[in-house]
Amino acid sequence: MIPVLLEILQVIFLIGVSPLIQGIVKKTKAFLQGRQGPSIWQPYYDLRKYMNKDEVVSVHASWLFLITPYVVFATTIAVVAMLPVFMTHTLLSFTGQLVLVVYLFGMARFFTALSGIDTGSSFGAMGSSRDMFVSALAEPVLFTTLLAVALPVKTTNLTLITERVVSGHALLLSPTFYLAFLAFFILVITETGRIPVDNPDTHLELTMIHEGMLLEYSGKRLGLMMWSAWMKQALMYTLLMDFCLPWGISLEGKGPMLIADFVFVFLKLVVMAIVVAFVEMSYAKIRFFRIPRLLSAAFALSMIAIVTEYLL
Amino acid sequence: MKTTRVIVGPQELLNACCTVINDHGRFITMVASDECGMGIDRFVVRYIFAHDGKSMLTVVESVVPESDPTYPSVSSMIPAASWAEREAHDLFGIFPIGHPDLRPLVLHEHWPEGVYPLRKDYALTEKQEQDFSRSWSYPKVEGEGVFEVPVGPIHAGVIEPGHFRFQVMGDSVLHLEAKLFYTHRGIEKRSEGMPVEKGLYLAERICGVCSVSHALSYVQAIENISGTEVPERATFLRVLFAEMERLYNHVGDIGNMCAGIGYAYGINHGARLKEQLMQMNDFVIGHRFLRGSIALGGITENITEEKLMFIEVTLQQVQKDLNEIVGQILSHDTVVNRFSNAGVLSEQIARELFTVGPTARASNYDVDVRRDLPYAAYSQLAFDVPTLTQGDVLARFKQRFLEARQSFQIIEQVIKNMPKGDICVPIGDLHPYSFGIGITESPRGENLHFVMTGENNTIYRYRVRSAPYANWPAVPLCVPGNIIPDFPLINKSFELCYACCDR
Repeated sequence: MIPVLLEILQVIFLIGVSPLIQGIVKKTKAFLQGRQGPSIWQPYYDLRKYMNKDEVVSVHASWLFLITPYVVFATTIAVVAMLPVFMTHTLLSFTGQLVLVVYLFGMARFFTALSGIDTGSSFGAMGSSRDMFVSALAEPVLFTTLLAVALPVKTTNLTLITERVVSGHALLLSPTFYLAFLAFFILVITETGRIPVDNPDTHLELTMIHEGMLLEYSGKRLGLMMWSAWMKQALMYTLLMDFCLPWGISLEGKGPMLIADFVFVFLKLVVMAIVVAFVEMSYAKIRFFRIPRLLSAAFALSMIAIVTEYLL
Repeated sequence: MKTTRVIVGPQELLNACCTVINDHGRFITMVASDECGMGIDRFVVRYIFAHDGKSMLTVVESVVPESDPTYPSVSSMIPAASWAEREAHDLFGIFPIGHPDLRPLVLHEHWPEGVYPLRKDYALTEKQEQDFSRSWSYPKVEGEGVFEVPVGPIHAGVIEPGHFRFQVMGDSVLHLEAKLFYTHRGIEKRSEGMPVEKGLYLAERICGVCSVSHALSYVQAIENISGTEVPERATFLRVLFAEMERLYNHVGDIGNMCAGIGYAYGINHGARLKEQLMQMNDFVIGHRFLRGSIALGGITENITEEKLMFIEVTLQQVQKDLNEIVGQILSHDTVVNRFSNAGVLSEQIARELFTVGPTARASNYDVDVRRDLPYAAYSQLAFDVPTLTQGDVLARFKQRFLEARQSFQIIEQVIKNMPKGDICVPIGDLHPYSFGIGITESPRGENLHFVMTGENNTIYRYRVRSAPYANWPAVPLCVPGNIIPDFPLINKSFELCYACCDR
């Protein structure tokens, strides 16, 4: 009985902590820019504000625009439920999970892109078309990178993969992990819409990718979209840590060590947020048509990771 | 400055203008006016040309009669005259025959037809009902996969309004139309009948960031009419203020261009240095944007030795930091990659449209009023006019840095050689119905003010040709071939005001 409660707690933890992670990224960026910046709790205040606000929906919007935030929110939570965070046991666990994760992301993206076009606003459509362009490149990379880690352990079940990575320390000495780590890091930047790929803080509509698709949303639905984006960010960090930096993930899911593991995982998330903020601050946004180069580098890295697995 | 007037009949206009152009005249603008008050029937058009290096202006003028308010368009030969002729068409109802594009410019489509606000019989307070029957027309680009992306006039940031219509194929821009003049405040109409002293306050408020330059152009136009000799100390202090204005603008733009690509290091250090300069402005003159510094016949307030010392010390610090920051920015791969080859303004377009300022100089069109038509104390100071050849965003970025370095030098010389003496002389009575032209180099290029006096030291006609007015037509020509996400960066690299273009 208790493991199930813990598994549910794990899901709630990631959903609940995701705005804080966003707050920490923002605070770190502000600090690096010599500003004070908003409090790390600001995303929570924002969420509360969105939930209480009236909504303005374009008269041209169809049902698609209205259901998208719920679809995106639900798919993101589904992925969260499959993810080992501070212990390897997860709420949902089955073979083929890895493939499902990739396609749940794909589904959320598909709906977001459609809703961007749906209202007929030019910025939304531009955002959608760019996002499709980027994701067409990012999706195979995500898949091969996940595969690179899954191959040595010969399963597509996230729980089993993480378990073996955590217990088999020898695996961590293999170059596969380092190559996959690099590829994964590029992916995290791309998937969470950060500089150098996208700029989450810009007001320049003409340059937007992810934010462009959300321009027409307001109130509750905007809140859901934002929260989903923050969850996805926390999720990508967790996925990266499950696969490549698995220290501190509890195998048993019980005992006094669990609390220590919980704290340790939380600290890892915070460190990850700070690292991402540093990367964002030391780069400028690259020219849009240069994104394929960045992603093909990630793709090459993950392919090499797979090949290395068989050669060494 | 010597002004040569060439008076011709309307039919001779085109010939006369071409002759001046062939004689290495540089077209600046055309000023139309309604001179029924002087017993002339009724409109006068004046094409103003500069002879750089000779410190001389040529004004080709012609009367356009009320009974047949037409004249041959000069735009077909001098494309740079296009906007001025469209503006005269909107505001005076005089028709340039053979003009290639006579869509409204200043007054948008809902302004009723046949109402011309700058005519003398149009009262300042007259109100108009909007006429919704007319609509704006844009050239269309057609074909499979071609889309139209309308942007603005209201933007997401706190920036001025302008409507941009992109015809795109994917993210590549095929054609761009810019519709400006959303901030037309009728400054020229308002000034008519104002005492010239009050007109100065209006001139200072044409633009937020070029206050000194506009005020200086205005007072030079008036001093030109009255023949006033400005005391030497005032001319030096005018240079000081003008260069202080250039510095805070150029430094701010350097940071602002980094905002176009989200490069936090450049954005924040640019903003920090700009703030430091503006606080210096505030300390020295009492206004962050340097308003209220220029007076008719001189300047408003003497600057003490301590303040001059303070400027010297502050600028040494800023110069050191700026060198370091620009070095850092230009050694960043991504930044250089984004800046280079974006929004190229070819030398040919820069010359044919008679663009001005850093924009022109970054495209190898070497024109700078401070050297070519010297005013204030510029002729007594040693400085270079840097030019670059590439004409892309990177060139305009570097151009601002190179010019800022010259400004540091100029200010140093000004402080070292500052003469003693009066700072202001009275301008006396102005001869009615005579005109004067004042030209200065603002941070964005040359600002021309044309002032014609009425009776009792009032303004009869006032026309402002700001630097953005000359450069805006070049911007849409630089964008096709680039991708939409690069447009904000290209636009920032020109950094043109909307308000002082619209007036």
